[in-house]
Amino acid sequence: MTLLRRWHLSHLSLYRRLMVWLLCPLALLVAIMLLQAWLASREAADRAFDRLLDAAALSIAEQVRWQQSRLWMDLPPSALEMLATDAEERVFYALYDAQGHFVTGNRSLPSLPTENDIQMNYGDVTSQDMPLRLGVLRARLEGWDRSDRFEVRVAQTREGRQALANQLFLASFVNILIIAGLAVVVVLLSARFALEPLTRLRRAIRQRNPRTLSPLELALPLELAELRQALNELLARMRRVRANQERFIGDASHQLKTPLAGLSARAELALRQSDPAAWREALTTMHGTATKTARLAGQLLSLTRLNNPEATPAKQTVDLTALARRCVREAFSRHHRRGIDLGVEVPEHAVMVSVNDWQLEEALNNLIENASIYGASQVTVQVTDAPARLTVTDDGPGIPESQRLLMLRPFHRGQETGDGSGLGLAIVDSIARAHDIRLSLQAAHPDHPERPGLCIALTFSSDA
Amino acid sequence: MYRLDLFIRRLTMAPHRIRHLVGALLALALMVTPPAQAKALHFTADAESSQPLTIYGVVDPPQIYPLLADFHQRNPDIAITYHNLETLALHARVLQERDTPRADVIMSPAMPWQYQLANEGLSAPVDSPAAAAWPSWARWRQELFGFTFEPIVMVYRRDLAARMPPPESHAELLSLLRQRSAELSHRVVTYDPRFSGAGYTYAIEDARISARYWDLVEALGHAHSELKTTTAAMLEGLSEGRYWIGYNLIGSYVQDYVAEHPELAMVVPKDYALVLQRLVMMSRNAPHPVAAQRFIDYLLSAPAQRLLATRTTLGAVHPSIDGLGTAADLRKRLGEAIRPVQIGPGLLATLDTLKRQTLLEQWQQAFKNHSTYADGPLADPSPLPRPSQE
Repeated sequence: MTLLRRWHLSHLSLYRRLMVWLLCPLALLVAIMLLQAWLASREAADRAFDRLLDAAALSIAEQVRWQQSRLWMDLPPSALEMLATDAEERVFYALYDAQGHFVTGNRSLPSLPTENDIQMNYGDVTSQDMPLRLGVLRARLEGWDRSDRFEVRVAQTREGRQALANQLFLASFVNILIIAGLAVVVVLLSARFALEPLTRLRRAIRQRNPRTLSPLELALPLELAELRQALNELLARMRRVRANQERFIGDASHQLKTPLAGLSARAELALRQSDPAAWREALTTMHGTATKTARLAGQLLSLTRLNNPEATPAKQTVDLTALARRCVREAFSRHHRRGIDLGVEVPEHAVMVSVNDWQLEEALNNLIENASIYGASQVTVQVTDAPARLTVTDDGPGIPESQRLLMLRPFHRGQETGDGSGLGLAIVDSIARAHDIRLSLQAAHPDHPERPGLCIALTFSSDA
Repeated sequence: MYRLDLFIRRLTMAPHRIRHLVGALLALALMVTPPAQAKALHFTADAESSQPLTIYGVVDPPQIYPLLADFHQRNPDIAITYHNLETLALHARVLQERDTPRADVIMSPAMPWQYQLANEGLSAPVDSPAAAAWPSWARWRQELFGFTFEPIVMVYRRDLAARMPPPESHAELLSLLRQRSAELSHRVVTYDPRFSGAGYTYAIEDARISARYWDLVEALGHAHSELKTTTAAMLEGLSEGRYWIGYNLIGSYVQDYVAEHPELAMVVPKDYALVLQRLVMMSRNAPHPVAAQRFIDYLLSAPAQRLLATRTTLGAVHPSIDGLGTAADLRKRLGEAIRPVQIGPGLLATLDTLKRQTLLEQWQQAFKNHSTYADGPLADPSPLPRPSQE
């Protein structure tokens, strides 16, 4: 596993990655060049020295003639001497007739396979444990009466070739090393230069005040400019979120301040009186206000909790019908006292959805509460299947179509009457968002302009 | 090297006859003239941990003795066995023992034969400072070293000067032979290249140096020159007064002989003087490579070379040794005229059978002055040892 990780480059810095991707091919390239240079220098040395074999064989062949009914040759010493260079190679020669019989020479040398009709063939052979370069010249007597074929074979040891090949290779080696060194320097420098804007960007981000959300102003190359753009967009979003939060906190403080101030004033008024009946009345009022304020605080708390992006609710498989029944049962007596007709319509079978049950319960409670607060006399909770949907319908004044989206914002109340905190629909919206539930608002009885009512539907996505 | 006129001459050569082996053996046996001497020299080791050293050589015991004695004194831990052989015997024995050599060091003045052995890969490189510093013209591949310097000379009787100016160069010898051919008839002696390996080698080298060599051969033939197979025989005849001028004698033997025979004078030719070198090499797979290296290193060292110059007539090669009997001295006196036989693949041509037959036929033809078959068919040149594969 660690080995696998080591081969992954993702943990390396960009600079190291560039180095790996540039230097590895470079090293491979250098290796290939060196191999090629070695082969080329061997070949060049062989070519150069084969000329000597060629010249020696030709100069021997020139001396071959027909005499005393046999092949005859007056071996020129210079032909052998030209084969011995500064490296003082060992030299061998032999003359063979058309039938391949040895005529003269200082060692029997093998023949080489013929390639077409090329006059001179070269090959590497080993004769008596001695590696030799052999040249075989096929020629023909130039005479009036005879035109016998014959072969002149000359061979030399490889010292001179080896020395020349080494010398040539050394020169190429030095050249290749110099080029490779320059290439490495260029790669290092260009990688640094190419990554320099990234370093600038990093510094610019690091040096920023953590509280600043102003956009980055920095000249950057194209690829990084896109990154800067994305960063700036993120910053803009964060600015908006912070503005929202600040307004929410302001609104929340304001909402809490009003009932508290009312409580304080009511208590002060009651304290100036000495009539226990007045105290009781004041306490009753204060109790009502405190209850409302406590509910407001609870709603604020749940909204804050819902808006926390890092707290994803654990989901369970919940039966919508059971949930609807339970909520209605709990709210029934309270609403019944107020004279509100709360009903529930559910199918026979269970409708299963995957949600966080307390959050959905909270949403449903809010919807029921909302409907009753804003003047509905009849509230119906409906569960339908395929797709799973939870609908709360009331016969209240409803919300004009233009107001519906605004209703989802915290502290936005559709009307100034009633005891609502303005948070109910915002909480439902938050829960719907967290659960990927589609929330829709529409008039329950659009043909009834006086009291069109409101139908709020929570449609669960099919895979939820 | 080879002129057109020579080529034409070759085309009109007489057919040759069957070779006979006796001739070959004779020719090579007599190539150098070793007087009847002990066949081997022994030096026993004095030290406890002794190592043997076997040398095959073609150097007369009196010449090699001072060197071996000096080496033994410097290296008492080495037990030396020196086998003095004849050139052909040495060559044959080295080839016979090619896979399991018994000799550590091989020395021979038969340069083509010795070169052939080295070219075959029977020698081993010597890695020593003296070997590395050895002049490049006197070595081949750190394997073959020319350690002596023996010019090929002319000898004349001092009483010749009364009749005619003694020859100082090849050109003077040629003009003398042409002008006084009647007087010099049967009075000039030289090697017979047909029967002497040494004579053949000099003929080839002479012919390579100048095409006028063939004029000289013709003039020699015209003067009915005598042909011998050894330097000793020539010197003997000169001393006895049968011959007046000797051509192409081995300087190292002449020097000794002339010192004892004041009626003779030695001349190193002024136009060019061939120089023979004894070649030493270490055997491949030598049984005692360390001792062999030490011996060759010694042979190439200044003390050994000084001994060669002073105690022998073989001549020293070492560039730092000066004085009589050294390469430096000869070069100073004769300058460009010194022509050491080149140690190189050209020597292989000397050993080519067909080449030998061609040259000898050409030589005979020139010597006999385009003679007819009246004096009988030409003698068959003796074959040379063929390469081992054949």
